[in-house]
Amino acid sequence: MNWEVVHRATVFISEEMGVALKRSALSPNIRERMDHSCAIVDAQGRIVAQAEHIPVHLGSFKVGVSNLLNHIEREGIELQEGDTVLFNDPYISGTHLNDVGVITPIFAPSLIGYAVNKAHQVDVGGPVPGSINPNASTLYEEGFVIPPVKLMRRGEPVKEVFKMVEENFKVPYVSLGDLRAQLAANRLGVMRVKQLVEKYGAQRLQEGWDSSIDYAKEMVRRRTSSWPTGSFQAEDYLEWRDGLVKVKVTLTLGQTIVADFEGTDPQIDGPLNAVPGVTYSAVSFAVRCAVGEVPTNHGFYSSVEVKASEGSLVNPRKPAAVGGGNVETSQRVADVTFLALSKALPWIPAAAHGTMMNVMMGGTWNGRYWSYYETLGGGSGARPDGDGESAVHINMSNTLNTPIEVAERQFPLFFTRYQVRVGSGGSGKFRGGDGIVRAFKLTAPATVSLLADRFKLGPWGLAGGSPGKPGRATVNGREMPSKFTVKVNPEEEVVLETPGGGGYGIPIDAKTLTSTPDRDGK
Amino acid sequence: MIVAVDVGGTFTDLVAIDDRGGLMVYKGPTTPKNPEQGVMNGLRRFGDAEAILHATTIATNALLGQMGLELPKVALITTKGFKDVIEIGRQNRPDLYDLRFRKPKPLIPREMRLEVAERTDFTGKVLTPVDPREVEEVAKKAMEMGAKSMAICFLHSYINQRNESVAYDVARKYFSYVSVSHQVSPEPREYERTSTTVVNAVLQPIVSRYLEGLEGALREVGSPKFFIMASSGGLVDSAEAKERPVQLIESGPAAGVVGVSALAKIMGERNALSFDMGGTTAKAGTVVDFNVETTQEHEVGGRVHQGRVVKGSGYPVRFPFVDLAEVSAGGGTIVWRDEGGALRVGPLSVGADPGPACYGKGGTSPTLTDGSLTMGWIPSEISEGMRLDLDLSRKALQTLGDPVEVAHMASDLASLEMSRAVRLVTVERGLDPKEFTLFAFGGAGPQYALRLAEEMEVRKVVVPPHPGLFSALGLAFANRKFEASSSYPEDLEATYRRLEERLMERFPGASFLRYADVRYEGQGWELTIPVDDTSKVRESFEERHMRTYGFTMPRAVEVVTARVFAVYPGYNVNLRAPEGGEVNVKEREVFLDDGWSKVPIYRREELREGFTLKGPAIIQEYSSTTLVRKGWNCKVHGTGSLVMEK
Repeated sequence: MNWEVVHRATVFISEEMGVALKRSALSPNIRERMDHSCAIVDAQGRIVAQAEHIPVHLGSFKVGVSNLLNHIEREGIELQEGDTVLFNDPYISGTHLNDVGVITPIFAPSLIGYAVNKAHQVDVGGPVPGSINPNASTLYEEGFVIPPVKLMRRGEPVKEVFKMVEENFKVPYVSLGDLRAQLAANRLGVMRVKQLVEKYGAQRLQEGWDSSIDYAKEMVRRRTSSWPTGSFQAEDYLEWRDGLVKVKVTLTLGQTIVADFEGTDPQIDGPLNAVPGVTYSAVSFAVRCAVGEVPTNHGFYSSVEVKASEGSLVNPRKPAAVGGGNVETSQRVADVTFLALSKALPWIPAAAHGTMMNVMMGGTWNGRYWSYYETLGGGSGARPDGDGESAVHINMSNTLNTPIEVAERQFPLFFTRYQVRVGSGGSGKFRGGDGIVRAFKLTAPATVSLLADRFKLGPWGLAGGSPGKPGRATVNGREMPSKFTVKVNPEEEVVLETPGGGGYGIPIDAKTLTSTPDRDGK
Repeated sequence: MIVAVDVGGTFTDLVAIDDRGGLMVYKGPTTPKNPEQGVMNGLRRFGDAEAILHATTIATNALLGQMGLELPKVALITTKGFKDVIEIGRQNRPDLYDLRFRKPKPLIPREMRLEVAERTDFTGKVLTPVDPREVEEVAKKAMEMGAKSMAICFLHSYINQRNESVAYDVARKYFSYVSVSHQVSPEPREYERTSTTVVNAVLQPIVSRYLEGLEGALREVGSPKFFIMASSGGLVDSAEAKERPVQLIESGPAAGVVGVSALAKIMGERNALSFDMGGTTAKAGTVVDFNVETTQEHEVGGRVHQGRVVKGSGYPVRFPFVDLAEVSAGGGTIVWRDEGGALRVGPLSVGADPGPACYGKGGTSPTLTDGSLTMGWIPSEISEGMRLDLDLSRKALQTLGDPVEVAHMASDLASLEMSRAVRLVTVERGLDPKEFTLFAFGGAGPQYALRLAEEMEVRKVVVPPHPGLFSALGLAFANRKFEASSSYPEDLEATYRRLEERLMERFPGASFLRYADVRYEGQGWELTIPVDDTSKVRESFEERHMRTYGFTMPRAVEVVTARVFAVYPGYNVNLRAPEGGEVNVKEREVFLDDGWSKVPIYRREELREGFTLKGPAIIQEYSSTTLVRKGWNCKVHGTGSLVMEK
């Protein structure tokens, strides 16, 4: 038997799980935006295959699954056929509370591996609609923390746990449906892996998985063997209150790739702290882009190492708030890793928009609590050989937008503009891509939160290119900071403008230079 | 007599069916600059036809920038504030890790996207009526900029078309081609609706000109009735095709699946898998309970990755499509090794020129066809005057390792890739492939059919007559089918009646099929179910939901779109097994799973109804080669089909 067949078949299984999840889910965030990820891991918790969905989820499986299995062992939780474990504690799962995970062991007949998926549930409790809270100073202000607990026991739902979710997630009529969709995805994954065992036998399946992991590792080694060795440093910043928070990396290229975050600022009393799972996924994402096509399984991950001292922004102590670490700090960690890589490799583009521009809103409408979440893309950075792309999600997110015609039907929203933010890309020999303008009004009073970044420092250019225009938000004409929660009344317009990408190279045309007034770099 | 015409990239295939259902076939080269020439070359051999049925790739090729077709300049009129909807797309990037990814270039550049003040809300209430004078102004502006075709798409027009209709009336004064979204794709989701309308607007001038050219040429043979295959698997008349050319995108591939559904019905097979493997790709589709399965989602011009179009890499088109999954596995698909030393198959392919190494036309890349030749699966003389060079095949494969080992492993990987396509249209739709009979056609399909069947645990395989021209044959079987739909129907029964009345005026004597796109309130994706009884929609939806996702929910069910098809049945085709005669069996050394062995070789023309043989064996014919693997029995059916069972 050749291992390539086992390898491909397992990748297909993880993709099939993703399709089942999306198609049966209820919240627009999962069904329209596909904010979810699926993977198959082996009995030792090594990632064998994952569907290419949301980068920040993908890398976090590596840290999250191993934390989870350690926890399960430490607590003496015994897993049996038909059990499924639910979890969302970011200090275990490796992202943030909104990413609710379910993991199901696969017995055939002894334990061969696990099917696991994570989906961004629109609301996991806490004080604000959508849970992600720009003003949170601890984890407890970001929602309901679920340690690993059984959601299904021997094929039967554990009613108490469902009830607990129902009473704590603020839109249970949506969340419970999404949870069922997540269970359906794992059920499918388990069934398919069992079919592989029937076909090849457990031992040959494991051998096939081992080979695919070795193969990925070998591919990385070959791809990086021509890279320069040595250490490359870079710094970048996040915006918090009136100041800046530094993210610093020293990237050492060699047999393995080591990212050391020594010199990064300590954790803050706000939601920008990134748990190690997030930091790891952002670094490994940037490395994966630079390496080129390899299977993103354990073999790839074993080539990437991250060091971050406890108590720092990128490895906080519980119960630091982490809701924005996942969505904003992850982008900056990717940016800073790319910036360090750009000092060694010639094909790295300038910085992209660098913020997911997270919008959370909700309240009571027609007697029911509602919650809505969306993110916005922006400009991609110019490449060494061409302009950046406009209005697109770059780096740690790749969600889809929620169609206006869907959002207006389901929520008290009325959109007024949805356009490319022309001229927001940084100039250079090649221009950065442009950001997005999205504007809306509410038809009922609501609470609106924004968790964004790059409002002060535009995304950096490279090789002499200018930075992209910073992001911007106004409520009823009032200029707002990058992170806020406000009450908005009907007829007040919220306008969001996302950053453009950085430019690349020195512009040849003098006219291009003079037409770009925005260069508010630090 | 009726004549079915399938114009592909390389060959123009014609199948004529006389009044008693007898068949004549013709295969000639395609004449890309004036496709009607290639068609007429064949037609002249058959004499006068009462009807011409046509499958064409013109729409796809135009959008892929092939055949030297230049896309016309098109303008878009849309709601103020929203002109960039088609440029933004859904905001995702087509490739997660590619630092050089490109979004598809909008088919209409920004300066040709024009906004007017107007707005309707989601309930259908017009908040801002459109001003005809403003439309007039932008229409003139579009003309000045050189637009040849116009697209109109306003927010929420699927629920109330009033503003769009006003704009349409104005635009018609200035443009002969106007595509308006409530007519092209009256369903919610602004990006997909706008994109579908825009693709329609781009295709209108091209397809109209093409069809007018063909109709002109057909005057020579007495202007027979003329029908074109739509992506949904039904035939439409040329007026409909010119009005909504967006429905012709998968015209060719749809014909094959329709052929399978008809043959399956004749043979009494309820559930059939259509497997079409040609030179560059393999396509899989399904027939369930004798009906061709369709889908609403498609991206044209997009990149295909493991059977699915990569979301965000092409232009979404929302129209019923025969549900096909496509993978890069055809005779010309290249076999290679990556830096990690892993053997890979595709996605690159050598195309018709230079073709596989064994063609001796200068190609050096090893392909699946080279593998087949090396393993003795196909003969070195495939048709008169066309010889394949075994040494060249072996030499090409040698670069990757032992030629036979490489060939065998490549065939395994290709089979897996193809099983992926089959899985997409079966298991991902909640269907179990074990309950299907596999129908294999296309030049290479019958070689791989049984290997694929083993992979998917399918127990019965059919190779139809003329597997190399089967898509053309499929046209003759197709129903003529016309669709009307309505979103968010308040009274389902009344909506169906209204749609049927509308169709009845245009298509007297047709019968009707009702479908509904249904979901749980709050879900974002619908399941399409046939509707026999409007009071039982919930039941059949929940049954389907259970089958597809394994659960149901205690919550309201909503019908998002009600669809009706007006249907005229297809033509009668009388398929018969050859008269047969003396069966001459030859032998050849063939490499199968357990090594080389002498395998009997049959000629298909010599095999009469009821003839049986046991695998391993090879059955050769003009357009294809069937590989009967060990453990399978083969019997010739009355229709001339080869039926293989384990």
